[in-house]
Amino acid sequence: MNIQRVVRNLVTTKRHFWLTTQSLRVVENASGKLEVALDPIGCKPGDFVITVEGTAARLATDNPQITTDLTIGGIIDHWSEDDW
Amino acid sequence: MKICQVEKTLVATSRIGQLGTRRLLVVRERESASKQVAVDPVGCKEGDWVIVVGSSAARSAAGSNDYPSDFTIVGIIDYWEDESKGVKKPAK
Repeated sequence: MNIQRVVRNLVTTKRHFWLTTQSLRVVENASGKLEVALDPIGCKPGDFVITVEGTAARLATDNPQITTDLTIGGIIDHWSEDDW
Repeated sequence: MKICQVEKTLVATSRIGQLGTRRLLVVRERESASKQVAVDPVGCKEGDWVIVVGSSAARSAAGSNDYPSDFTIVGIIDYWEDESKGVKKPAK
């Protein structure tokens, strides 16, 4: 699992059926690389989060049939840019 | 399996239900600056050198095949002298 920061929301109206209506967020890692993660929790931009990748990302959602390979697993209580 | 050193405990109060109350640790792979988060079913201390499994083995190691982990600690190395340079040693 990786530590990433939520950058902003991502809106995709026309989407695959198995992406369902789950929220998507743009997240960045320590080197600034952007990725899209499914958000079952409800994060705000600026939150530092733990992301789960691979098959575990699907199990981290309500329904394992949802097609994702990156899911937010939790919001970190205390984390700053220096800890990254 | 990867050799990592435990940095500290990670507190994430707001988390998905599937993660349960399992302990999460910030670990750093040897010879690498990037930090990762691992599930700890073993019980490690800060500074411990540990072996960590990834992918689907991480789910089984965390206790169930439905557990959403992609990085799980499976053992603490009794003795490891790290020969690599430039890796920050944690304060004892």
